[in-house]
Amino acid sequence: MKLEEVLELSRKTGQMRKVCGNCRYHNTYKYPDQVFCFARFSHRENPVVSVWFDHCNEWESKLQECFCLEDSLKKRGKRTK
Amino acid sequence: MKREEFLSTPVTHMKIKQDMTVDQLVQQFKNSGSFGAGRLATACDVYENMVRDDKCTLFLALAGAMVPAGLRTTISDLIRKRLIDALVSTGANMVHDLIEALGGQHYQGHWHVDDYLLYKYHIYRIYDVFVPEEDFIKADETLVKMFDEISEKTEGKRVSTNELMWEVGKRLKDTDSIVRSAYEAKVPIFLPAMRDSEFAYIHTVHQTRSNPRKALLVDAFKEVPELLDIAGRSERLGMVVLGGGVPRNSVQHAALMTGKGLDYAVVITTDRPEPGGLSGSTIEETISWGKVKHKANKVMVIGDALIAFPMMVASVMERLGPNFRRKGNP
Repeated sequence: MKLEEVLELSRKTGQMRKVCGNCRYHNTYKYPDQVFCFARFSHRENPVVSVWFDHCNEWESKLQECFCLEDSLKKRGKRTK
Repeated sequence: MKREEFLSTPVTHMKIKQDMTVDQLVQQFKNSGSFGAGRLATACDVYENMVRDDKCTLFLALAGAMVPAGLRTTISDLIRKRLIDALVSTGANMVHDLIEALGGQHYQGHWHVDDYLLYKYHIYRIYDVFVPEEDFIKADETLVKMFDEISEKTEGKRVSTNELMWEVGKRLKDTDSIVRSAYEAKVPIFLPAMRDSEFAYIHTVHQTRSNPRKALLVDAFKEVPELLDIAGRSERLGMVVLGGGVPRNSVQHAALMTGKGLDYAVVITTDRPEPGGLSGSTIEETISWGKVKHKANKVMVIGDALIAFPMMVASVMERLGPNFRRKGNP
């Protein structure tokens, strides 16, 4: 499954496209569902967020190469079955 | 030198037996006296001499990914047994010690792997060792908070890399940790290239979270007089080097600056002298600088430190026996 399709699916499931799992600065915290955001950590906010979380205005709409979103989505699919 | 002197010691062929101990195997290496086997057998003798010399301060210089690859407990045990007196390391090796101390792991992987696939899975590769990104990140998170706490305590006072490592060690619970063991045994850890590691990132994040005036001040030069003080108070100096690089030269430089020169040296490396880098420089070359004494008990083992070093330690520990105690120097 291509990332574009994943994101399309994510739109269908009501998630926004601008999500932390597709930020080029994200680091995985609990693969694939949670990421660690150093921007939030630097501001002393809770740095551990869902890959689907959207909080940042500086987010760039360039698709990321990692499997975080794709694997998270697969995991979600398994959970609902 | 006369002709017969060149032919005084025959090669004795190695006899390998079932159930032989590590030191018995090393003795067979000594009988051969040739190539890497001969050098490793000499290294065992030199290290034994260092350890048995009551007046010798023993430095371990650590470079290359020795901790991720499995030497963590070996080094920690050497510290607790005081079979080394000071550790001079790359920052990265201590970061990898802390990754495990804070719950992370290193995994057996393979060198022949799709690195782009690893990248997509957030897995880092160190030759054939894999580290999950989250283990780095979790260590970063805890260490940034430790740095926050330490900077509150030090209140703008400059700390050396050793002072910082002991502060970190104080806050760890894992008794297998090198940093924790060093804190408990009061064995100094110097990190002369500390910023060339994850510590740089940790410090930067700590700094952005803190009031800039309250950020932790780690003074790279403060460890120099600390190292010189140790070398200066020591009657004799010895070093065991794994890899080389900045840690090796920091020890050698302390020996030079105190005008003493090293009395014992074991260097285990795969590096070559021809490109002029320090890691591959021969001990003979080091003598020209006055860093190692001309008559030092010394050997360079050309080989994988992950094989040679544990063999050397096992062999020497066997020779020392279970009741051997070393008080530590200086």
